[in-house]
Formats: sequence, structure tokens, C-alpha cells
Amino acid sequence: MAIVNLHNVTYTYPLTKTPALQNINMQVDEGEFVAVIGPNGAGKSTLCYTLAGFVPHFFKGELTGSVEVAGQESSKSNLHEWVLNVGLAFQNPFNQISGAKYTVVEEIAFGLENTGVPRDEMKQRVTDAMKLTGISDLGDRSPYSLSGGQQQRVALTSILVMQPKVLVLDEPTSQMDPIGTREVFGVIRTMAEKGMTVVLVEHKVEWIANFADRVIALHEGQILLDGTPGDVLTSDLLAEKGFGISRYTSVARKAKESKLWKKDKLPVTLDEAVEGFDLTPHPSPRGRGK
Amino acid sequence: MNSLSIYVARESGLHTLNPITKFVLTLCVLFCGFTLPGIWTSYLILTFVIVPLAMWGKVTKRMIQLVIKISWPFILSVFIIQTLFWGQGTALFEIGPLAPKIEGGVFAFHSSGRILFIMADFILFSLTTRPDTLMISLKQGGLPSGLAYIIVTTLQLVPQFVLKANTILDAQRSRGLETQGNIIIRARALLPLVLPLVIGSLLEVEERAIAIEARAFNSKRVETSLLDIPDTQNQRYARIGLVLFTILLIAGRYIWLS
Amino acid sequence: MLENIKKEFSTRTLVLIPIAIAINIAIGQLVYVLKLPIYLDSIGTVLVGALVGPWAGAVTGGLTNLLWGVVPPPLQNAFLPPFFYVAAVIGLMAGYFGKRGAFEKESPRWLSVIIGALFFFTLTFFITAFLNLKTDETGYTTYPTPGELFSSYLVVFIVAILAGAAIGYFLLQNGGYAGLAGLATGVVAAIISAPTAAVVFGGVTGGGTDLLVAAFRASGGNIWASVLAQGSVSDPFDKMLSFMVVLFILRALPTRFKAR
Repeated sequence: MAIVNLHNVTYTYPLTKTPALQNINMQVDEGEFVAVIGPNGAGKSTLCYTLAGFVPHFFKGELTGSVEVAGQESSKSNLHEWVLNVGLAFQNPFNQISGAKYTVVEEIAFGLENTGVPRDEMKQRVTDAMKLTGISDLGDRSPYSLSGGQQQRVALTSILVMQPKVLVLDEPTSQMDPIGTREVFGVIRTMAEKGMTVVLVEHKVEWIANFADRVIALHEGQILLDGTPGDVLTSDLLAEKGFGISRYTSVARKAKESKLWKKDKLPVTLDEAVEGFDLTPHPSPRGRGK
Repeated sequence: MNSLSIYVARESGLHTLNPITKFVLTLCVLFCGFTLPGIWTSYLILTFVIVPLAMWGKVTKRMIQLVIKISWPFILSVFIIQTLFWGQGTALFEIGPLAPKIEGGVFAFHSSGRILFIMADFILFSLTTRPDTLMISLKQGGLPSGLAYIIVTTLQLVPQFVLKANTILDAQRSRGLETQGNIIIRARALLPLVLPLVIGSLLEVEERAIAIEARAFNSKRVETSLLDIPDTQNQRYARIGLVLFTILLIAGRYIWLS
Repeated sequence: MLENIKKEFSTRTLVLIPIAIAINIAIGQLVYVLKLPIYLDSIGTVLVGALVGPWAGAVTGGLTNLLWGVVPPPLQNAFLPPFFYVAAVIGLMAGYFGKRGAFEKESPRWLSVIIGALFFFTLTFFITAFLNLKTDETGYTTYPTPGELFSSYLVVFIVAILAGAAIGYFLLQNGGYAGLAGLATGVVAAIISAPTAAVVFGGVTGGGTDLLVAAFRASGGNIWASVLAQGSVSDPFDKMLSFMVVLFILRALPTRFKAR
């Protein structure tokens, strides 16, 4: 069952001539994990905003085509109801702190307060959400005293606690250090495993290859490719346009030219590369092993 | 100490009072202090109203520390300017061209008293009340939530901002910006500080607006609150009483004068 | 009219206002600490007025002063809350002039030259007038006539006019309308703030402007006159400067930003 359905969507921001999105046709089934890749300016953020309802309700501008997410249609809804079904988190963790709350617990409850959830239910949901994302010990801290990775996890928790049907994430790890990145990816993976529909814009292709069900490659506002990670990420088209390629794929591609890569399909992940290059250690013929 | 607010949590009677009660109390003390005549009024209010309240809230020492720290530049300035530049009056003594006047000193004493009691009044309030609890109570009483949002966010954002400004200041200094010296140098230091600070912050506005929209900030539903701010009937009566008392005092003072 | 007011307060505006207030306080505090004889605590207010409108500007200004009294030390400044109405009016006027295009239309250079020259002329007039107040034995204060001033200070006046013209030409450039708007706002601010300054604090705030008050007191002015005089010197210049800074900021912003 498609929970996201974009049909012939074209969108132009106000005061600009070139559309940011052109003829986008995209379906996502419930529980799917879709990754979106593309160079800067390809329209990835605009796509996220469209899924989350901010295009067109927040940005105005011209939108043609139909946008259906979680049973709502863009032209018939307004933003404040749309956001209850679609959660959005983005790059900069600092900008996602509301500023209106003095502790992490209250910050997370902010969305629930705005939607009138009764106090007891609120407390339970906040506690559960914090356990899910692993930040239960941060409850009494000020959101401004946290590290970038912690702040981003608080932002994610604040969105997850609202129980959206679709989670849209726009490069959530771009401003994180390696620890923060690991923490955030951990949360995303947990949500995906629980069956949440996730649309993730990311540059870290190797991680995507391991966890995404599908990859959509966006280029100049249009969908270039849409398929499994194995297909999309090893496609020659990507190599041509120059983005979305993992180290293992490029190495193997070069190796294929020199006939050192024997398989048909190029690898995307480390494991595939190890397997394909036959790099698993064998016991040495002169037998040092047991 | 958390630099975001000067609130200190204490087990005290004053702390448990409803924030609106404390706010009303703060304002009533302020207005009473301003209307009552005499140069000693401010000092009397300070000693017999504010300090006892501070003791009840167990924050006396902290309050006095903060009040002195903030007020001393003003007090110094006012004494020097008003005594030395008073114009016609009785001189205390004369050293060359300097002739401090008693009238100036008296005026400065009066002004200092005012500033001390005002500062103490508000600092006591800030020490014993968390700003967001006040906003929640006011919202329940009908304050528009947009206004409440602006106020609390400002209180948290301003110290953050100043930190950012200091970072820019250091960065510019390391690139050779001069900030010490005569007035021209100091004035020229301003623009390379102001411009990046302001423009950088303005570009954040859109993302921050999106972030709170994503948390249903503009939801049309009735809001609830995670925190429970208790209020009692006695406190409601006390608040009405305080306001009436203040109004009577102000009215009485003006009637008595004319 | 109520609809117009509500329209100004979109989510973007609600997010902008705390940032603008923070700008006011951060820059204002910096200036206070540097002991410069100006305030520069209204840049955020003027910015909101210019970008959004008069009512948002008024709220920004009013709240800045009120909240400045309750922010945590060392930023806390208790002298400013009583002047909240002045700051609100500044925001109101900035918004009004903004709607009339003060920050968008380019003014001819000669207008800027005239404004600069006029301002410095008036400034010099004020200062020399106060420096020559005579109080005779019966306590009567006599003001010097313009004729007396010009004859004694002719060179000073000429230098002031030329300096003003140069500043208008080089600094204001084609921002003459913004400069004029700032000047007008500053004059209004000086007038409406003088009573509070004189009554509440005896004209002293602990900042660099106190030096000017002292100077005016020393030359014989009473508290009211000195405060008004200090305001007349600091405020118009300060507001003109603030409006100019906002003009430059607006010009530096990407166009996409101003589509609101």
C-alpha cells in the first residue's frame, strides 16, 4: 500500500524561474526505507519539504501535480494538520531546538503540548520515545548544553514522539562528528526495523547500501534512477553524472577494466567488495594456522 | 552555574508560590517603592520587605552579591556626576576647580536607593522563579502563546547569542581587528562584528520557523502542559489584596499631596 | 486594521523577534562596555520594522527593553525597562518608513549631503548654545542669540557643515532616505525619552552617554535640559547610524530572504 504518492509534481519557488522539482513521480510503500541521493542543488531538500507539507504551504510558490502522503492530499490540507502525519528533521541540530523549553523532557513534549495530548499520556510517550532513542539520561539537561549528536537525537525524539506515519530526514548526519553520526544512524535504523516508513536524504552511500530498501537518485530536479541500492549505486549513469558512488564501487569498476574484478555486478558495501575480490583470509599453504 | 538563567532551585516557601503570585508581588513592591516619598523609602523597602522575602527564599546572599555586582558602576557614576556638577548649592569642600555639592550627594543617595531596590526586587524574582513556569501560568490565564514563545525563547537565546558574538570577536581579533584604544579605533571595530553576527542569525530564521511548525506550533487544538503549576485560592486572594493595597497607597499618596 | 496587525505575526516573525532582541542586546551591551557615547541598541528593532512592519517592530523594541531588565547577568541592565515605550516607537517608525520604501529607494547623493550638513549644523548649534548659557545673580538663565553664536564660532560652524556634507556624501551615499528616516526617529526618541530619563534616574545610566550629561550639567544646564541636550546629540546620530547599518545589512541579504 503506497503511503506516499507523488504524481507529476513540478514545483517552483517564488521569485525563481527554474523549477526546483520537475515531473516527479514517486511512490513509497508503508514500511519502506527509501534513500535519496543527489548532488547539491538537485532538489533533495525541496523533495523533503514537499513530503513534509512545507512545499507549498510554508514556501508558497507554484506546485502542479498531486502530492498524497498518509491519506492527505496537498491541495486539500493545511500545514498544521499535515505535520502530525509526517515528521521532518534536518541537518542543523541547533536550529531544531525550539528555544521555548528549559529541559530536554519538556523540549520533547513540546509537539505533544501543542496538539493537546493529556498530561499522563504525554509523560508516558516522552519516556518511551527517549528510551527508544537512547537519551533517557539526558532528561533534565538544558537542550543548549548538549553535543551536536545529542541535540540531533533530541530533535529526532521530539519528532518521533508525535508518532508520524512517515519520517523524512534531510541529511541528519551532515553536521555530526563520527560519534554523532553513529548515534543518529542507530536511531534511524531502530525506527526502520520497527516498521516506520523512512525517507532519508544522505551522502554516506555505504551506509545506505546496507540498510535502505530503495535508492532514488535526484539530478537537477528530476528523478534519474529509482531502484534497489545494488542497481542504482552501481549504475554507470551515476558514474557519468559524478555522484553517489561508494569507494568500493569505484575501486571495483577500475579493477573490472583491468579484468581484476571477475563478477558481473559491482559491489556497493565493504562485505560485497571483500567477497568479490576474494579477500577473505585463507590458511597459508605452509600451514601456520590450526 | 547555568548561564541561561539565574534561577536557583531551593527548598523554600517562596519557591513553591505560584509564579504569577511572585510576579504580582514584584510589581507591587516596585510601584509602592516608586510612589512613596522620601529619600529613605527605597532603603526601607529594601531592608524591611525585600531582604526578609529573600531570607524566606533562602537566596539572600546570592541576591546581595548580584545586586552589588550590577549596581556599583551606576552608583559610582551617579555620585560623581551629581555631586560635582550640581550647579548652585552648598559645597562640601573645594579642591581647585572641584566643588562637590551636598545637594548633589543627597540626590545621588536617593537615585542609588532607587536602583538598589529595583534591582533587588527583580533579581529576587528571577532567583526564585523559572521564567517558563511564569509563561505557562500566564498562558493558562490568557496570554497569547505567540507572545509567551517570544519571551521564553528570547531569555534563552540572548546568552547564546552573546557567546556567538564573543566567538566572532575573537576570530576577528585574531585576524588583526583592534578593539582597544581611542574612540575611533573602538568605533571601527564595530562593523566587522555586527555584520557577520546579524546576517548569520537572520539566515537561521527560516529553518527555525520550519522546525517549530514541524512540532505543530500552529496547531489549532487546545494546548496542554507537561508541567503542572499549582495555584491555591489563598494565593488568588493574596494577589487581589496586594493589587488593591498598591492602588490605595498610590491614590492615598496623591490625595495627601494635593 | 486588526487583520493587518495579525498578518505581520507569522511563524517566521515569531522566530525572528527573539533573534532581533538578542541582536539589540548583544550589540547594545558591547557599545555600553566600550563606553561609546551612543546606544546602538535598536538595530534589531529597526531590522524587524524594515523586514516585517511597524507592529512587529514595536513589539521587538518594547520587549527588548523590558526583557533587558530580566536577562541573566552580566547582560542584565535595569535602566532600560522604563524606556520600553521609546523603543516601541522606534520600531513603529522604522516599520512605517520601511513601508514607504526608505530602505529600498535609492536617494540622490545631494540629499545625503544636505542631511549630513544639516545634522552637523544643528548639532553644533546646540552644543555651542549650551556652552554659552549665562546665569546671572538672580538665577535667570539667558540663552545666547544665534547672531552671537555665529559671530563667535563661525569657523566651527563652517567646519561642521563641511564635515557633515562629507559624511553625508561618503557614508550615507545613496541611503539618504534611510538616513533621514533615522534622523527623524532619533529626534522623536530624544524628545519622548527625556522626561523618563530625568525623572527616574536623574539623567545617569552608567554608560558613555553620561559624559555628555556631565558636560551639559557643567555648562549650567539643569537636569532636564542636560538630558534633553544629551538625547538630542546622541539619539539622532545613533538612530541615523542604526538605520544605515540596517540598510547595509538588507542590501547584503540574498533576495530570496526578503520574499515574505
